Amino acid sequence: MIFSLILGFLLLIIGLYGMLTQKNLIKIVIGFSIVDTGTHIIIVSIGYLSGKTAPILDSTVDLANAAKQVVDPIPSALVLTAIVIGLAVTALMLSFVIKLYQKNKSLSIDDYQELKW
Amino acid sequence: MNIWIKILYAVISVLVVTIYGLTLGGIVRKIYARVHGRYGPSVWQPFLDIIKTHGKRVSISHGYMFYLGPIFRLAGGLGTYLFIPVIFGSVVFSNFSIAGDLLLVMYFIFFGQLGMALGAGEGGHPYSPLGIARGLSQMTAFEVPFSLAVIAIAIQYNTFNLTTIVAAQQGSILNWTLFTNPLAVVAAMISLLGMNMHPPFSIVLAPQEIPIGPPIEMNSSFLATLQTNRGLFTAAKLILFMNLFFGGATNLPIMIIKTFLIYMFSVFVGASFPRFRPEQSMRFFLKWPTLIGVASIIFIAYF
Amino acid sequence: MVNPIYILTLSLAAGFLLTLIDKSGRKLSLTVFYGILSLNVFIIGEWFYRLTFLNTPTVIINTAGFSAPLSINLQLGMQEAFVLLFANLTALLSAVYLFKKFKETHISGLILYLIMIVGVNGLVMTRDLFNMFVFSEILSISTYALITLTETKKSLSAGFKYMIAGGIASTFFLLGVTFIYYFTGNLNLDFIHLGNFSNLGFISIFLLAIAVFIELKPFPANGWALDVYEAVDSGIVSVIAVVNSAAIFFVFYKIMPILPQNFLNVFGIAGVITFFFSNLMGLKQKNAKRLLGYSSIGQIGLLVASLIFTMHLPRSLMYLIVGGFFFNHLIAKAGLFWITGIVKKENLKDWNVLKNNKPLLVLFGILLFALAGFPPFAGFWAKWEFVKMLVHGKMFFVVGTILLGSLFEVIFLFRWFTLSIKGDEKTEHKNISLELSKMFPTTIFAGITILISVLIMKFFYDFNWLHALPVLAVLIINVIDFLPSKIKGILSLAAVLTYGYLIYPLESNIQLFFGIIFIIGSAINIIGTLNRKGKSEGFYGLLLMMIFSFGNLLVAITYLEFFLSWEFMTISSFLLILRGKKAQKASMLYLIFSTAGAYLMMVGFSLAPDLVSNSVLILSISNVSLPIAATILLSIGFMIKSGSLGVHIWLPEAHAEAESDVSPFISAILLKAGVFGLLMVGISYIKHTPSFDIFYWIGWIGVLTAIVGAFLASFQEDAKRLLAYSSMSQVGYIVASIAILSHLGWLSAMYLSFNHMMFKSALFIAIAGVYYRTHTRTMYEMGGLIKKMPLSFISVLIMIIAVSGVPPLSGFGAKWLIYSSFIEKGWYLQAGVLFFASGVSFLYLYRIIHTIFLGQLKYEHQNVKEAPIWFIIPQYIFIIGIMAISMFPNLIIQPLNSIAMRYFNSSIIIDGYTISSSLGYWNGNLVMYVTMGVFVVPLIFLMLFNGRMQKVKQFNIVYAAERPESPQTTHVAHNMYAHYRKALGGWGKPRIWDFWHEVSEWSHSLADSIRQLYTGNGQTYILHIIMYVIVIYFISGV
Repeated sequence: MIFSLILGFLLLIIGLYGMLTQKNLIKIVIGFSIVDTGTHIIIVSIGYLSGKTAPILDSTVDLANAAKQVVDPIPSALVLTAIVIGLAVTALMLSFVIKLYQKNKSLSIDDYQELKW
Repeated sequence: MNIWIKILYAVISVLVVTIYGLTLGGIVRKIYARVHGRYGPSVWQPFLDIIKTHGKRVSISHGYMFYLGPIFRLAGGLGTYLFIPVIFGSVVFSNFSIAGDLLLVMYFIFFGQLGMALGAGEGGHPYSPLGIARGLSQMTAFEVPFSLAVIAIAIQYNTFNLTTIVAAQQGSILNWTLFTNPLAVVAAMISLLGMNMHPPFSIVLAPQEIPIGPPIEMNSSFLATLQTNRGLFTAAKLILFMNLFFGGATNLPIMIIKTFLIYMFSVFVGASFPRFRPEQSMRFFLKWPTLIGVASIIFIAYF
Repeated sequence: MVNPIYILTLSLAAGFLLTLIDKSGRKLSLTVFYGILSLNVFIIGEWFYRLTFLNTPTVIINTAGFSAPLSINLQLGMQEAFVLLFANLTALLSAVYLFKKFKETHISGLILYLIMIVGVNGLVMTRDLFNMFVFSEILSISTYALITLTETKKSLSAGFKYMIAGGIASTFFLLGVTFIYYFTGNLNLDFIHLGNFSNLGFISIFLLAIAVFIELKPFPANGWALDVYEAVDSGIVSVIAVVNSAAIFFVFYKIMPILPQNFLNVFGIAGVITFFFSNLMGLKQKNAKRLLGYSSIGQIGLLVASLIFTMHLPRSLMYLIVGGFFFNHLIAKAGLFWITGIVKKENLKDWNVLKNNKPLLVLFGILLFALAGFPPFAGFWAKWEFVKMLVHGKMFFVVGTILLGSLFEVIFLFRWFTLSIKGDEKTEHKNISLELSKMFPTTIFAGITILISVLIMKFFYDFNWLHALPVLAVLIINVIDFLPSKIKGILSLAAVLTYGYLIYPLESNIQLFFGIIFIIGSAINIIGTLNRKGKSEGFYGLLLMMIFSFGNLLVAITYLEFFLSWEFMTISSFLLILRGKKAQKASMLYLIFSTAGAYLMMVGFSLAPDLVSNSVLILSISNVSLPIAATILLSIGFMIKSGSLGVHIWLPEAHAEAESDVSPFISAILLKAGVFGLLMVGISYIKHTPSFDIFYWIGWIGVLTAIVGAFLASFQEDAKRLLAYSSMSQVGYIVASIAILSHLGWLSAMYLSFNHMMFKSALFIAIAGVYYRTHTRTMYEMGGLIKKMPLSFISVLIMIIAVSGVPPLSGFGAKWLIYSSFIEKGWYLQAGVLFFASGVSFLYLYRIIHTIFLGQLKYEHQNVKEAPIWFIIPQYIFIIGIMAISMFPNLIIQPLNSIAMRYFNSSIIIDGYTISSSLGYWNGNLVMYVTMGVFVVPLIFLMLFNGRMQKVKQFNIVYAAERPESPQTTHVAHNMYAHYRKALGGWGKPRIWDFWHEVSEWSHSLADSIRQLYTGNGQTYILHIIMYVIVIYFISGV
C-alpha cells in the first residue's frame, strides 16, 4: 500500500513537473494525464488493505464479519468515475490543442500569451 | 444726545482734522523738497491744489463706477475718521465711535481703497490696475505685522474698544503701549511705513513707472475729492496709531504734536531710502516685521 | 410541487434528446431548450417560495433507495433554493442573451448548456463530497466546451489555460475527498465532523478546501480566470462569472462547517487580500471585460471574506451582508458583462458611444452604481453592516484593506463610467444595435437590482419614506422628462418648497437654520436654472435628489439614515458635476475624495456608541461620547466635503467644471453639508471632551485652508475656479470657527455659513450670466462689461463687499465675530493668519470684478446683453437678504445666538442694535447709517458742483505719447499678481496637488508592477496555483 501510495505521489509530481517545464501543448496534456494517473493510483492504494479479500459477498467471506474481511470497495468505485472524468478532460484538452494548432500552426505554449496583465 | 448735535460735532471734527491733515501734507512736501535740495512749494499748496483742480474747465467721466470711485474714497476716509475717538474725553471729537470698535476702523480703511480701486479700474487706463494690483498686494503684506500688533494690543488690554485702550494708557508716559508692549509698536510702525506709501514702499505711485498710480485718469473734481481725502485719511491713520500706541490725546495740541511726530517717522524713512520693487516690499513685510509681530504676541500672551 | 430532482433529470434527459429533436428543426429544439430552462426556474422558484414564506422544512432527497450515508443525498433548503433560483434565472437570461448564437450554432451548444445547468444544480444540492466532485467536473467540462462557441485564438488559449488550472484544482479536490474518506470512512458532509480528524487528517481537509478556494480565484493564483473573462464571449462569460461562481461559492459554504477555524481565518484574509489586489490592479486596466474580470475576482474574494467573518452573526444580519454582496455583485456583474457584449468595445475610451444611447446608459449606470456599492443598492447595506461588524470585532486592518480596495474599485469603475459619458475619444459613432434578446435580460437584472434595494429599505430597515424621496425624485422626473425644462424647473421649485413645508416642524433651531440654507437657498438657486433651454434631460431629477438629500441630513435619526442621505448627496452631486462639458476629470476627483471621505465616515459611525434617544441625530449626538478615533475619522470625512486644506483639490475642479447654474449649489450649499457634519461632531465633542484636543488641530487646518485658499484664488485666470478657491477659503474660516468650540465661535461659523450661502450663490449666478453671454470663463478675455451688464456688475459689487468684510455690509459682522471669538479663545496666531487671509481675499475679489467688468471692453463683446432675467432674479433676492442682515444684524444674530446658547453660555449682549462681546462692540445699524451719510454727502457735493462733466469713449485715456492699440493690450488682467507669485517664491508651488498626483502615480505604478505576475503563460499560472497552495498550507499551520 505504502509503495503504491508513494508511486502515486511520484507520478503526480512527475506529471506536474512535466506540465510546468514542457513547452509543447501536447506534452503538457500528457503531463496532466500523468498527474491524473498518479491521483488514481493514490485513490486505489488507500482503499487497499493487505491480507483482505475482494469485496464480494461469496463463500470466502463471513457475512457477519464482512466489513473486517474485505477491502474497502468505495475507493475503487470512485476511481472508476475519476478515470472516466479524467478521460473526458484529457480528450477535451487535446481537442483544444487541435483547434489551437489549426488556428495558429503552433504547439508552443509561449505563442499563446497575448492575453495578460 | 441729540443726533443733530452729534452730526454738528462730527462736521466740526472732520473740518478741523482735514485742515490739519492737508497742512501736514504741505509740510511734508516742503521737507521732501528740502531733502532733494529744492525750495519747495508753500505749506498751503495742498489747499491751492484742491481749489485749482476743482476749478478745471474740463471734466470727464468714464462711467458710473468711475464717478463713484472718488466718493467711495472720501467716504472711506470720512468713515474711518468718524469711527475713531480722536481726543480722549472730548465730546466734540468722540465722533461715532459708539458704532464699533478697533476692528470696525481697521476694516473701514478698506472701504475707500476698494471703492477707489473699482473707480480707477473703470477708467480703463492700464496704469490704474497696475498700481492697484501692487497696492493691494502690498496692503496684504503690511496688514500682517499691523494685525499682529493689534492682536497683541487686544491681548494686552483685553479689548478692541479704542476708548478703553486709550484710557488704559493714561496717567504716565510709561503706560503708553510704546513702553508696555514695545515689540508690537515696532511691528506696527514698520507697517505704517507701508500704509503711508512713502519710500521705500511707494510702489503704488511709483512716479517713474506708472505716474501717480491708480488715480491717473482722475481729473477735476474727482481729483480734488481724492486730494481732500488724502489729508483727512492720513490724519485718521495717524490718530489711530496715536490712540493705539502713544497714549492718545487729551486735547487738540497734544494730538497735533503726537501725530506730527508719528508722521515724521514715515517722512524721515521715506526721505532717506530708495524704493523697493513690488516683490521686495512684500517679502520685507512678511519677514522681519511679521516675526516681530509674532514675538510681540508671544511676549504679551505668555510672559 | 415538483421534486427538485427533476431539475437534474429533466435537463439531463433533454440534453440527450436534443440531438434527436434537432433533426426536426432548430425551432423545436430551441423551444424545448428554453422550456426546460424556464421550467427549472419555475420549479426552484416555487420551492424557494415554499421554503422561505411557508416555512416548509428543508427537503432531503435520497437516491437509490437508501438514506445517507449509504447513498448520495441531495438537500434543498432555503439557502440552496436561494442560490439555485438565482443561478437558474441567470442561466435562463443568459440563454436568452445568447439566443442568436444558439439559433446558429451546432446543437451541441444547447446540450452543453443544459449539462452545465445540471452541474450547477447538482453541485449546489448534493451533500456527498465525491458527488460534488462529479458535478463540478460536469460543470467544468461543459463550461470548457462552451468556451469554444466562439473559436478565436484568444478564447481558445484562455480556455486551455482554464482547463489546466481547473484540472489541477480538481486533482487537489479529488485527493482531498479521497483522504477524507480514508480518515473518516465517510463521504457525506452531514456525517463528517471536525472531531473525526487526526492531525494528519487536516491535510485532507486542507486539500479539499484549497481546491474549492482555488476555483474561487484567489489572488495571485487567478491569472487563468482573468484571461477567460477577457477572451470569452460575453454571454458565456457572464455564466462563468456568475452562475459557476455562485455554485462554487456555495460549495465553499457547504464545506465550511468541516473546516477548522484557523483555515477559515486564513481564507478570510486571503479573500480580503484578493479583493484589495485585484481592485488595485484594476486601476491600470483599459480593457472593459478584463476590468470586469478584476472586479469579479475581487468581489468573490470579498464575498468569501464576508461569509467567513459573519458566521457568528445573527442569521438575518448575515443574510443581509453575505446575501447583499452575493446578489449585488453577481447581478451587476452579469448585467455589465452583457452590456459589454452589446457595446462591443474593448477599450474603455471607446465607450463614449454610449453617450447617444440613453436606455443603455441608464442600465449601465444602475448596474455600475450597484456594483460599486452605492445606495440604495444591496451592496451598500451589506458594506455598511459588514464594516460595522468588523469594526466591532476590532478587525481594523481588514476594514482598512477592504475600504481601500473598494475605493480603487470605485475609481476604475467610475473612470469607465465618466469616460462613457464624457470621454472625448474620437470614435466612429455607429449606433449600437439594441437587440431585444440582449436588452431584455439586462433590463430584467437592472430591475431586480432596484427591486432588491426597495425590499431591503422597506423590510429590513423600514425607513421613513422621506429617505427614499431622493431616488423617487429621480424616477418621477425621468417619467416627465419629455416636458420642457422650464416646466420641470417650476415643478421642482414647487417640490422643494413642498418638501421644506413637509419637514418644517423641526425639532430644533439648528435644524431650522440649516434648513434655510439647504432648502430655501436651493429654492432660490433653482430660479437660476430656469434659464435652461430645451429639455435638460435628467437634470432636475438629480437636482431634486441632491436637495432632498440635504434636507434628509437634517431629519436623519440614525447614523445609517444620515449616512444614506450623505451618500445620496454625493451621488447626485457627482452626476450633476459630470453634466459639465469637460467635467470628466473633475467629477472623478470629486467622487474619489467623496468616497474616501464616506468610507472614513462609515468607520467613524461604526465606532460610535449606539444612540440612546429617538431624536434627530443632530440632537441625540450630544448624548453620545464619540471615541477619539471616531471623532477624527468623522471630522476628516466632513472636512473633505468642505474642501479643507490637503483634501481640497477636488473642489476647484468640481466647482469650475460643473455647469454654470449648478456651481452655486455645489459651492454655496453642498459645502455647508460638511459644515453641518462638523458641527454635529462638535456637539458630541463639547459634552464629552477627550484628553487629546482634536479640534485644536482642526482649527489650524481651517485657518491654513483660509489663507491657502485665498492665495490660490488670487492666482486663477478662470472666474469659476477663482470663486471655487474663494469658497475653500471662506469655508476654512467656518471650519476654524467651529473648532473654537465656544459660543462666539459657533455664532461666527453659522453667521458666515449663512452669509456665504448668499454671496457665493449670487456670485456664481452672476458668473453664470456672464458666461452665458460671453461663452468664456477666462477672465482676461473679458473686461469692461460694466457697460453691458450693469445689473450683474452691481450684484457682484455688493457681493464682493460682503465677502471682503468691509463695513457696512454683513461680511464685516462675520469678521468681527470671528476675530472676537479667536482672541477670546486665545488663538492669537491663528487670528493673525486669518487677518492675513482676509487681506489676501481683496486680491481675488478685486481681480474678479476688475478683469470682468472694469477696464477695457473687448471688441467681440460690443454687443453683449445683460444677463437673462432668470439669473438676475436670484441675485437680487440674495442682495435683499444681504442688505437686510447688514442693516438689521439682529435679524440673524438673535436666532443664531439662541442656537449657540443651546451648547454654550451666551457670550454676547444684544442691546438694541449694539452687539457686545467681552472684547468689543459693533452696531451694524449705526455703521450703516454713518456710511450712508459719509457716502451721500460727497456724492451730492459732486453732483452739484461737477455739472460740466462729460462722458468719454473707451479709449479716451491719458496715454503718454502713444495711443492704446487694442483692448487686449490695454486691459491689465492676465497674471495680474505676478509680482506676488514672485514674492512667494518657493511657497507658491502646488505641493498638495503634486502630492496627490504622486499618490496616484505611485498606486498606478504599483498596480502595473503587480499585474506583471499575470504573464499570460499557462505554465506560470499553474506555478502560481501550486505555490499558492504551498504558501497557504504553511500559513494555515496544518
